[in-house]
Formats: sequence, C-alpha cells, structure tokens
Amino acid sequence: MSQPAIKVEDLRKQFTLSHSGAASLKTMLLWWKRRQMETHEVLKGISFEIQRGECVALVGRNGAGKSTLLSLLAKVYKPTSGSMAVNGRLGPLLELGAGFHPDLSGLENILFNGMILGLTRKEVMARTDEIVRFAELEHQIDSPVRTYSSGMLARLGFAVATNVDAEIWIVDEVLAVGDYAFEKKCYDAIDTFRARGGTILFVSHNEHAVRRVADRCIWLQSGLVHADGKTDEILPCYLTDGVSEL
Amino acid sequence: MLSELKELWRFRELLLAMVERELRIRYKNSALGVLWSLLNPLLTVVVMWFVLKTVMQNNTDNISAYILAGYLPFLFFQMAILDSAQSVLAALPVVKKVYFPREILPLASVISNLIHFVLALAVYLIYALILWGVTGFKDFPVKYNVLFLPVLLLVHVCLVGGVSFIVSALNVFYEDVKYVVSVLMYLMFFLTPVMYFSETVFYAMKKWGAAQELGFFLYHLNPVATLITAYRKTLVAPGKIQVLDDGVATQVSPLAFNWLHFGIAVVFSVAILILGYSLFNKLKWRFVERP
Repeated sequence: MSQPAIKVEDLRKQFTLSHSGAASLKTMLLWWKRRQMETHEVLKGISFEIQRGECVALVGRNGAGKSTLLSLLAKVYKPTSGSMAVNGRLGPLLELGAGFHPDLSGLENILFNGMILGLTRKEVMARTDEIVRFAELEHQIDSPVRTYSSGMLARLGFAVATNVDAEIWIVDEVLAVGDYAFEKKCYDAIDTFRARGGTILFVSHNEHAVRRVADRCIWLQSGLVHADGKTDEILPCYLTDGVSEL
Repeated sequence: MLSELKELWRFRELLLAMVERELRIRYKNSALGVLWSLLNPLLTVVVMWFVLKTVMQNNTDNISAYILAGYLPFLFFQMAILDSAQSVLAALPVVKKVYFPREILPLASVISNLIHFVLALAVYLIYALILWGVTGFKDFPVKYNVLFLPVLLLVHVCLVGGVSFIVSALNVFYEDVKYVVSVLMYLMFFLTPVMYFSETVFYAMKKWGAAQELGFFLYHLNPVATLITAYRKTLVAPGKIQVLDDGVATQVSPLAFNWLHFGIAVVFSVAILILGYSLFNKLKWRFVERP
C-alpha cells in the first residue's frame, strides 16, 4: 500500500495544570516567581499507522488520552514532541455544529460551518441542497438555529461535517445523538464513506458502535498504546480488563 | 511568519465570511440596522459641537466638520480594538474543536469595523458637501488631499491590526486586559486631538519657550494623535482655527502637514503590526490550553 493515511510517531502531549482557575494579571504579578507549573503528560509517546480505507476505533478509559489524540490530529493542539502526518483531507467531527451562531439561519450557518471546515464558498453553495436534505430540515432551514432542538442541531452539524469531501474522518463520540432513525442514517453515511475508500478514526464507548464500524482497535491506557489489533481480538480483552480494573 | 501568512491567504474566504457574519449578527435583531453605526458617532459629534461652539465659545471655521474628521478615526481605533479584544475568547469553543488560522478572529473584527469607518467617512463627505452648499463653507470641501486617504487608511489599519493582535491574544490568558484597554482608550481620547486641535497644543506649549518644539514632537510620538491630525488635514479644507495664544483667543491658520510626525507614525504602526502578529503567532497554540 502507498502512503498511510495517518502516521503518528512517538507523539507526546503535555499540559500545564493551573490550580488557581482563571488566570489574571494579579496572580501573574503576585506569583510570577513562586509559580510552580505542574505538568501533566496525557500522551506519553504514541506510535501507529493507519492505512487508507481502514476504520479504526480508539478505546480506553476516561483520561486515557483518546480525545487529546484526536484534537492533535485535527491541529487544534500542537504536539509537545513527536511527529504526525495526515495524508488527505481531514474531516473533523469532534463536536457537531462547532461554531453555529444562534442568531443566524440554518442556511447561513451551513455556509459558515462549511468554510470553517475548509471548503470554499462555491463548494459549500454546491452542497447546500444535499446537506439540507440529509439533515431533514427543508422547512426550518431559514429560521435562526436558536429555534432548533438539540436533535436538529446535531443533524445539521453531522450533515455539514460529512459533506465536506474529506478523505479521513476523525469522530469523537458524536454518533450518540439524534433519534434511532437518524442514527441509522449516520451509520449508512459511514458505510457509504467506507465503500468509497474513506478512512475513519473514531472514539466510542459504545461496544456495538465499535463492533459495527471498526475493523481494528487501538487501546489506549494512561497515554500509551496498550494493545493494537483486530476488533474481535482487542475488544473482548478491553471489555473484561477495563471492567475488572475498576 | 511567511508560512503563517500563506496559511492565512489559504483561508481568505473564511475571513470574508466571518466579516460578513459579524456585520450580519450585529444588525440582525435591530430595527434601525446599519444606521446605528452612523447614528452613534453623529449624535456624539452633535454634543461635542455644542460643547465646543457654545459652551467653550470656540469660533473655528467648520468646527463640526473638524470634530467629525477627528472623531471618526478615533472611533475606528477604539471600536476595532475593543471588539477584537473579545474576539478570540468569545470564539474559544470553536477554537477548541476546529482548526483554522486563529488570526482570522481579530482580523474579522478589525475589517468589519473598517467597513463601518469607511461608510462613516462617506457620510462625512456628504455632510461636508451639504455644509458647503448651505452655509458657505469657505472652500469646496473635497480637495485633491482626499487622494491621500487610502495611504492614511493603510497606516491606520496597520496600527489597529497590530494592537488588536496583542490585545486579543493577551486577553485569552488575562481577562483584565480588556478592562485595562478600555481605560486606556478613555485616556487616549484626551491625549488625541479630537475635542481640540493639534494647533491648540502647539500654541499652548508656546509658554514652554525652547521646549515648545520638543513638547509638540513628543505629543506626536503617539501615532493615534498624528493620524487624527493627518485625517483632518486630508478631509477638511483649511480655514481659520481658534486657539489660545498666550491666553488670548486668536484665529490662526492651520499648521502645515508634518511629514516627520507622519513618518514616525508610519514606522510605529508597521512595527506594532509586525510585533503584534509575531506575538499572536507565538501565543495562538496556547489558546486552547488556557488554564
């Protein structure tokens, strides 16, 4: 196979902890000498490769570093050290409808959200109909999104994020929204995406979602890759181990 | 810095969309819409005009035009910086979830305020023409000087952009910054020739003797003061200005455009832009990790 879709090498991410809560000039001026920065290493050197067309689930307990890893890949964070390479257009589904403005109409938000996700104005315009149809919002699309229910918002967010022609999706626990019918639609969208050769890296705590979508699992534990392999092999171990650990 | 600029260029459409969005949101729920952005400065200028002309008995020619030509640039400086101070912090939920060049946020605030400013300038020119038609404004108000306006705007945007980068980046980490900035803006109003003229300053410093030139020079080290004076020279046809010369109200001719002051303001503005942009780029990756 050619270049991997995602290649991560010895990736580390450290966060600085602050106990004072919101920072202010006062605390900075008063404590600038005594201020001891506590650091917390969330990712402690992670390496893996994901080939094109693979569908990989990240599993692990809360705080294992799954979301941090996705955020790093989405270029929201900068790694402390190590390298990562993403070959192909990335579709970040970290939070559906990030950046929706309540006072703007659904249509205006589609345009804006699509452009935040890296499309040009023209490209978004061309996809608007498809997005509206997928979100099933034909009748409300001209109303301000503050009048939408949370399910409608999630549908619109998912519709925009999945229509930006990405080659790689990174998904953070966003499929657990909407009703059953919409959930099925999401899975259908994922299947279509995979059939076209798309790559998916997703985080889920839902056993069925993992089995349904992923053919490979990466198990993160305390910032390290604990195990990496086929879903059938990893998931049962994770489910028994992860629980007995409690 | 070059690669950052390239990345910014790649996202230019998003920047435009964000400007459009900001303008739309501002007037979405108001009946008078875009009129507000013009009404506010006009009302302020009416009050200032009343104070200067009637209370302080200043008989400068075209004084209302003079005030307007000084207040509009000041308002752009003030509003753009106060708006952008909040821009990154307000967008933090998006910044935490999606990648895009963060500098788009303060830039969108600056550009949408620039659009207001240009609109207001257009209204100013209409006002000056009416004044000329109705009340016998001494000369035709629009002169070839107006051609200098784009240069002024460019320098002004550099200054405003640079300060906005600094303020918006620091405000993410220390929310005191926006309070400090609003106090500084208030003080800046008195240190810039809006309610008076640079000529007033010049003649007031006369009693300093040999230090007059130095004092006048130091006063104009403030690029905002220099820019406002430059806007006036560009926008208002010269008439007589009333100043206090040795305590006596005297009508004097406006001072000539000072190229040295303007050159210093250009250097300052560009330096602040470069400094501000590099500071912003240095801090932008830490926005999401804000304690």
